[in-house]
Amino acid sequence: MVLRRREFLKGSAAIGLGGVATSLIGGTAFATEGVLDIFFNSDTNVIEFWSSAVKPAFEAANPGTTLNLVSGGGGASMNALSERAFAALQSGTDPQIDMMEAIGPYHPEGSIEAGLWVDFSTLGLSNMSKVNPAVIDNQWSLPYRGSQVVMMYNAEKVPTPPKTFEELIAWIKANPGQFAYARPDQGDSGACFIERALQEVTGRDESLFTNDNYTEDYANPMFEKLWVLLNDIAPSLYKGGEYTGGNTPSIQLLASGVISMTIAWSDMALVAMNEGVVPETTSVAQLQDLAFIGGYSSVLVPTVAANKDLSLKLADFLISPEVQNKVVSELGGFPSINWSEMSPELQEKFANVATTSIPTFPGPWESHLFDGWYRNVASNLTR
Amino acid sequence: MSDTILSADETANAPLVRKRPIGLLFIAAPILLIVVFLFYPAIRSIFTTLYVKQADGSYAWSIAGYLYFFSDGYSLANLARTFWTTIVTMVLLIVVNLPIAMYLRFSRSPLAVFVQVLALFPMFVPGIVIVYALIRYMGPNGLLQTLLELVGITGFQSPYLTPWGPVIGMLWDAMPFTLLVLTAGMSGIATSAIEAAQDVGAGRLRILVSIIIPQIKNSLLIVTALNFLGLFGQAFMPFMLGPTSPEMMGPFMLRTFSTVRDPVQAATQATIVFAFCSVAGLAYVRSIARRRAAEVVK
Repeated sequence: MVLRRREFLKGSAAIGLGGVATSLIGGTAFATEGVLDIFFNSDTNVIEFWSSAVKPAFEAANPGTTLNLVSGGGGASMNALSERAFAALQSGTDPQIDMMEAIGPYHPEGSIEAGLWVDFSTLGLSNMSKVNPAVIDNQWSLPYRGSQVVMMYNAEKVPTPPKTFEELIAWIKANPGQFAYARPDQGDSGACFIERALQEVTGRDESLFTNDNYTEDYANPMFEKLWVLLNDIAPSLYKGGEYTGGNTPSIQLLASGVISMTIAWSDMALVAMNEGVVPETTSVAQLQDLAFIGGYSSVLVPTVAANKDLSLKLADFLISPEVQNKVVSELGGFPSINWSEMSPELQEKFANVATTSIPTFPGPWESHLFDGWYRNVASNLTR
Repeated sequence: MSDTILSADETANAPLVRKRPIGLLFIAAPILLIVVFLFYPAIRSIFTTLYVKQADGSYAWSIAGYLYFFSDGYSLANLARTFWTTIVTMVLLIVVNLPIAMYLRFSRSPLAVFVQVLALFPMFVPGIVIVYALIRYMGPNGLLQTLLELVGITGFQSPYLTPWGPVIGMLWDAMPFTLLVLTAGMSGIATSAIEAAQDVGAGRLRILVSIIIPQIKNSLLIVTALNFLGLFGQAFMPFMLGPTSPEMMGPFMLRTFSTVRDPVQAATQATIVFAFCSVAGLAYVRSIARRRAAEVVK
């Protein structure tokens, strides 16, 4: 639920790639020594990143190795691949899968208990100590790139970005018309802002919100507090309480110089900054008390992979500073290793985004939260 | 004019057309498609808004969804905004396109071809491109504001994210279609009729009111009815260019369905929109029937 925008993109890509994937799954190719079959759930931009930043360097360092990068074709096809790996484990055959990207280890049911996936916590990969503990979700997934919602701002107008949500609210009120966030249903960045605000008015306790605890009686008192906070800042927002129609329109407003700060996805912000569509002085920052919501993509390695040792070598390479620097500079992603391991140049540039927490927010709450927002916050603008 | 219509209606009632079963066979396939893919799901959807699940899990006839819509101030504000946007856009479309259509009809200058191409240009540009281009052009600190400031006009208030945002976007989007229908209507006006009026001393305004407007009445009706249908249900332009609230029915339905996850209420909203649109649809069908009847007379 965290990366809805991405999932949507993946979904649309899946329609096009479905056909390709089906033929791949049904294929009868045999794993070849030294050829790593890697299946991707991510979009083509990620596969391009692998072919330009990961593949040449890894192949050069390991002569005789070839990385075979295959688009998995979306969630359903990736699940079918996991099932294939599980079946191979049970029958003791070669799954012809050496690594899977951007999926969780929970499918098919029972795969964890059966030991389908390599447990990274026990392997002692040389770069494992560099990984930021806050980004590790489970021991079978090795996170290698992330995206998080951040404050994106013009440093010329905002010399010191807010460090806490309280400071952010204070800044918004002190600079009327200079801040905008997207409508929650139109851009996840806006959703993350009001979800973070909800966490703020309820004492920054993430455990209050779970996938199955939404009831009107439980939620409404909390929502009431949220509407008070959001209505309180509304007159200080862009145009006295107007909200942008999505992630990109927010960045456009910042680019046009009419606002000084907005809420954006880190990867979109970094791409906009790298391409120069926003002013040179644009920067990003993360809240230090409780960060905005984010998510990391991981790789999984089946324990039965024919080239398992080579796959683990590749996994170790993925979390090396060499690749992680490129995740930031070329992919516009966030590193999964500690910022202190990154190149000094990047460290300086992103000093404000280093995160110690990556909160999530349960999907079942969102429909009620968003509709309540439309009725209680957005409709109060008087023209 | 009214004489012609009366006689036309009478003629249409006469059995002029011979009935041929082979003709019916030709239209059987498209009608079957319409029934299977349009009518059946539409009726099913309307049915779900009336035969709803009760609190105890059973199903019963109920108009609670409609009662809720018409007693909910938020929904009504959205409906009112939809009417406002639709009507304002429709009027502006006629105001902008009628003079162009007249120019194209009566001008013999080679510039007319250029004007026509220019006016039809929006047809070839996808809506999403227009929306982002418009945001950059008329948005705050956009090109328009910069140009205005160059000539000394300051205090420009961008229509982006105001009720006028979608009006401008939809005006651009619906312009080629409106112009095409109007120019087609104009081409039916005989030059001789206008010359005759000029000969007896009619002024330009008199010619417009007494000769041109009556003859393109049908085109105006068609364009108004079809534009109403197109504009009323618009979802994309309103949510990209318009204010967050009140919403137009298009984005409101979309949001109720996908974000609020209340398909029954979304279907109720859609049925209400359908009811309003069917009035425009009826006007269109009547106008077509009239024209066909008039053609039979000729």
